[in-house]
Amino acid sequence: MDKIYNDFTINVATANGTGSQSANLIILHSLFEMGVPVSGKNLFPSNISGLPTWFIIRASDRGYQAPGDETNIQIVMNKDTWEKDLASLDPGTIIIYNEDAKLPVDRDDCVSLGMPMTTMARGISPKMARLMANMYYVGGIAHLLGIEEDSIASAVEQQFRGKENAISMNLQAISEARKYASENWGDVSRYSAQSREKSDDTFLIEGNEATALGCIYGGINMLSWYPITPSSSLAESIIKWIPKLREGEDGGSTCAVVQAEDELAAAGMVLGAGWAGGRGMTCTSGPGISLMSEFIGLFYFAEVPGVIWDINRTGPSTGLPTRTQQGDLAMCYEASHGDTQHIVLIPGTVDECFEFGWRAFDYAERFQTLVFGFGDLDLGMNRWNTSGFVYPDQDMDRGKVIRNQEEMDAIPNFGRYRDVDGDGIAYRTLPGSGLAPILYRGTGHDEDGIYSEDPQVYYEAMQRLKRKIDGSRDILPAPVIREEDEGDVGIIFYGSMENSIVEIDDLLEGRGLSVSTCRVRALPYHSEVEQFVERHDRVVVMEINRDGQLYGILRKELPSHLIKKLYSVAYSDGLPPRAREYANRVFEVLEG
Amino acid sequence: MQTGFSRYWRDEDMVKLNVLNLEKSEYKGGKSSLCPGCGHDQISNIIIQAAWENGIKPEGIAKMSGIGCSSKTPAYFLAKSHGFNTVHGRMPSVTTGANMVNKDLSFIAVSGDGDTASIGIGQFIHAIRRNLDMVYIIENNGVYGLTKGQYSATVEKGSKKKKGAPNEQAPIDLCAMAVNLGCTFVARSFSGSKKQLTALLRAAMSHRGMAVIDVISPCVTFANNDESYRSYNYVKTNDEVLHIVDYIAHFSPLSEVEVPEGEFSDISLFDGSTLRLETVSDDHDPRDAVAALRAIHEATQDGRHVTGLLYYDPDQPTATDNLGLTQAPLVGLPEDKLRPSPESLEEVNANFRAR
Ligand SMILES: Cc1ncc(C[n+]2csc(CCOP(=O)(O)OP(=O)(O)O)c2C)c(N)n1
Ligand code: SF4
Ligand SMILES: [Mg+2]
Repeated sequence: MDKIYNDFTINVATANGTGSQSANLIILHSLFEMGVPVSGKNLFPSNISGLPTWFIIRASDRGYQAPGDETNIQIVMNKDTWEKDLASLDPGTIIIYNEDAKLPVDRDDCVSLGMPMTTMARGISPKMARLMANMYYVGGIAHLLGIEEDSIASAVEQQFRGKENAISMNLQAISEARKYASENWGDVSRYSAQSREKSDDTFLIEGNEATALGCIYGGINMLSWYPITPSSSLAESIIKWIPKLREGEDGGSTCAVVQAEDELAAAGMVLGAGWAGGRGMTCTSGPGISLMSEFIGLFYFAEVPGVIWDINRTGPSTGLPTRTQQGDLAMCYEASHGDTQHIVLIPGTVDECFEFGWRAFDYAERFQTLVFGFGDLDLGMNRWNTSGFVYPDQDMDRGKVIRNQEEMDAIPNFGRYRDVDGDGIAYRTLPGSGLAPILYRGTGHDEDGIYSEDPQVYYEAMQRLKRKIDGSRDILPAPVIREEDEGDVGIIFYGSMENSIVEIDDLLEGRGLSVSTCRVRALPYHSEVEQFVERHDRVVVMEINRDGQLYGILRKELPSHLIKKLYSVAYSDGLPPRAREYANRVFEVLEG
Repeated sequence: MQTGFSRYWRDEDMVKLNVLNLEKSEYKGGKSSLCPGCGHDQISNIIIQAAWENGIKPEGIAKMSGIGCSSKTPAYFLAKSHGFNTVHGRMPSVTTGANMVNKDLSFIAVSGDGDTASIGIGQFIHAIRRNLDMVYIIENNGVYGLTKGQYSATVEKGSKKKKGAPNEQAPIDLCAMAVNLGCTFVARSFSGSKKQLTALLRAAMSHRGMAVIDVISPCVTFANNDESYRSYNYVKTNDEVLHIVDYIAHFSPLSEVEVPEGEFSDISLFDGSTLRLETVSDDHDPRDAVAALRAIHEATQDGRHVTGLLYYDPDQPTATDNLGLTQAPLVGLPEDKLRPSPESLEEVNANFRAR
C-alpha cells in the first residue's frame, strides 16, 4: 500500500467528562515528540459532563493547522452521536470504534476497526474502566500510524506528570491495545506518521497562557476578572504564574488579583487602578464587553489607561459559548455610547499573544486610553507551536506622567487635558502625589479638567481625542504582509485566521489564483494596510463572522477610491476556519 | 476641649491651624451648584471640617463618587485632593482598583441613595464584603434629585414627596443591610446634626476598613414637604439619637479630655483616636449586631430615624490584607520589580521545552 506520510486528520468523537481529553493530548503530544507538524482543536460543549465533544488532530508536513476539511481517521466512542458521526464520513475513512458500545457500524465503504475497549480496560482496573477505555484508541492509533513507543511514553509521562501509578496503567493499556490492533487489524492504514527533524526549542502552548505570561512581563499590577469561557484560563494562568515570577522585596506579590462580582466591576477596577497609576487588566469574552461598555467610554473620555482582553466566543447573547468567532471586532473598536475609538491589538500566533500581552500596557499608558487585546477561543484555548518567548526589547513606557514639582515646572501652561506637545496626548498627575489635583469626570471638561458644557470646548476636546488615537496607527504593530509579484488580488485577514491562511493560499494557488496577504495586527489600522489596498486591484477581507466587521471598518476609513476594490468573505459557524470553506468563498465573491 | 490646634493672628482675624499647621481653607472646594439649602452642601462642609480637624494631608485623600446631585459634591470639598466622579452606582469598583494599587490613599467617597441602593447595590454589597478600606457616605434623600425627584429605593412606606402619590413599596435600609453583611463600621446621621455627623465622620476616617455612614440629607426641591420622612422638619422631630458621640483625636491626650457626668463608653479606633459614646437612655453596644438591627427595626416601625454608631467591628482584615501583597504600594514599584528578568523568561521557556 502506498503510504501517505504526515498528512491526515483524526477526529475523536467522545462525551465530555469521560477522560478523553488526556487520551487526545497523548496522541497530539506523541506526534509532536516525533517532530510531526501537528495541531489539535478541542470542540467542546458548554457543559461539564456527558455532552458530545470532538477533538480534531491535524498532521501536516506543509504546516497546515486548520481543521482538515475531511476526516481520514474517525474514532467513535460516543453512543449519542454514533450514527451522525458515521454518516458524515467520506468513503474510505478509517473508523476505530469501541465494540463494547454494542452499536452497529454500517459503513461497508469504510475501513471499520473494532476493539472491546471497555472490556480490556476492566482487566487493568475495573473501577477506572470507563476512563481507561480511551487509552485503547490511543494504542489503536499508535499502531495504525506507527507512532514510536518512546514518543508515546514521553507524552504519557507529561500528561500524568509525577503520578507513577497512572503512568504505568495507561502505558499498559496503550501497549495492550497496540498488540490487539496489530494482531486483529493488521496493516490497513494508508496514513502514517514519520519522524521529522524537530527543533529542540519548540513547544506547544495555549494562547491564553502565552498572553498571561506576556501580561506578567508587562508589569501587570492588578488583575480583576469574572469567570467566562474562553477567557478564564487567561486569568487562571496569571494567577498560577504570578507567585513564581513576581515577588517584591519582602516576598509579597506585586500584582493584586480580584475576582470581581461581575464584569461591570471588573472594568471599574481596571479604571481605578489605571487612574491611580497602576497597570490594571481584565479579561473576558463578548458578554463581558457588553456589560463593560459604559466604563469603556469613561476610559476614553477621562483618558485613563487600562487593558481588556476579549477572548471572543460565538455570539450574540450566550450564543455558542464554547465555539470560536471574530464577532466582537467592531464592538471593541467603538465600544460605548457617543463618539469613541479604542486601540485593538490582534495577535495571530502564541508569540504575538506574549508580545501584545506586555505591549498592551505600554500603549495604554502612552496613549492614556483603554487598549483591547483581541483573541478568540481557537487561539486562546488550543495549543500552538512556538520556539520560545522573546524578552521585551524595550523598557516599560509609563507615558506622560509628571512625578515631581520639577517636572511640573518644566511644562509650560500645564492643564490635565492641554495638548502641550501637539500629539494629542496631555500630561497627567497621580492621586497621592499632591501635584495638580483634579477631579476626573465623565462629564464635559475643559483643558484644565474643569466641568464645561461649552460647545467649542467639547468640540475641540473630541477632535483632540481623535487625533490622539489616530496618532497611534503607525506606532502600533504593523501588518504582516506576504507579497506575490504577480498578484493582483490581495487578502486582508487577522487574528487566528493566521492558522488557516497557508492552506487557503495553497488552495487558491492550486486553482490558479496567486494572492498576496496582509494580516492586520492592530486597530486603528496601520498606514501599510492602506498601501496594501492601493497596490492591489482587488482585495478580499476575510474574517470569522457573519457581516464582515473589518470590511466595514475599512469601508468607513479608507479613501473612497479604494473602497470599490474591497470584497468581503465573512463566514462563521462556530468552528475554527476550514481552509476550503474560505477558499471557495473567495472564488465566489471574485467571480461575483 | 480639643487640642491639636494652634492659633495666630493675621491682620485683625484670629487664624486657626490644625496639627499639620493648615488652615481650614486648605480643605475647601469649589463653589457649589446645588440648590440653596440642599442637605448635601451641609455634608460637604462637615467633610471639610472633619478632614481638617483630623489633620489628614489633603494630597493623601482620594475623593470618589458615582452620579447624582450628591456625587457632584467632591467638586465642592477638598480641592487639593485628587478625585474621580465615576459612573452611576459603580464608584465602589473604581475605588477597589485604586485601593489595590495604592493602599496608602485615604478614600472618602460620596454616593446617593439612587446611586447606592438601586443601580449600585451590587457593588456596594461587594465593597462591604471585601471590607474595602474607605469611608462611604450615602447622602440619602429618598429621591433621585438629579433626574428631578423620582422615589428612590430607600424611601419609607407612606412617605410622600412634594409631587405625586405616597410611596407604597417597602424601603431598603442600607444600614441594616450593611450590618447584616458584616460591615465593620455602620452609622446613621442627619445632615442637620453638625456635631454628631462631624464626630461620626472623624471616627470613620480613623477606621481601617469599610465605614458606611448613611446620612439623611433633605432634598429641598423635591422632598422637603412635611409628609416626606426625609424633610428637615420630619427628621428634626423624629430623630432617635442612640448616644451622644464625641471624637477624641489620637493627638489629644485622653487624660486631658473632660469626663462626662453620665454613663459613657469609649471605642478605640485604628489610628489611636477614640469615639466616646455617652448614654442617652438605653445603652447601645455597637459590637452587638442584633442590637443594631433591633434599634433600626424598632425605629422604622415607629416612623423614626435612629442615628449614631450602629455597629463596629475593628478586627477584620481589609480587602488588601488577604492578597499577600508586598508592603509598598504597587504604584511606586520600579520596573525591575514589575518585569521579571530575562533569565527568568529563559527558565520559563526551558521548562516548557523540557515537558
Ligand atoms: C447608567 C445611568 N442611568 C441613569 C442615569 C441618570 N441618573 C443620573 S443621577 C440619577 C439618580 C441619582 O439619585 P441619587 O443617587 O439618589 O442622587 P441625588 O441626586 O438624589 O443626590 C440617575 C438615575 C445615569 N447617569 N446613568
Ligand atoms: S435637586 Fe434636591 S438633591 Fe439635587 S441639589 Fe437640589 S435639593 Fe439637592
Ligand atoms: Mg437621592
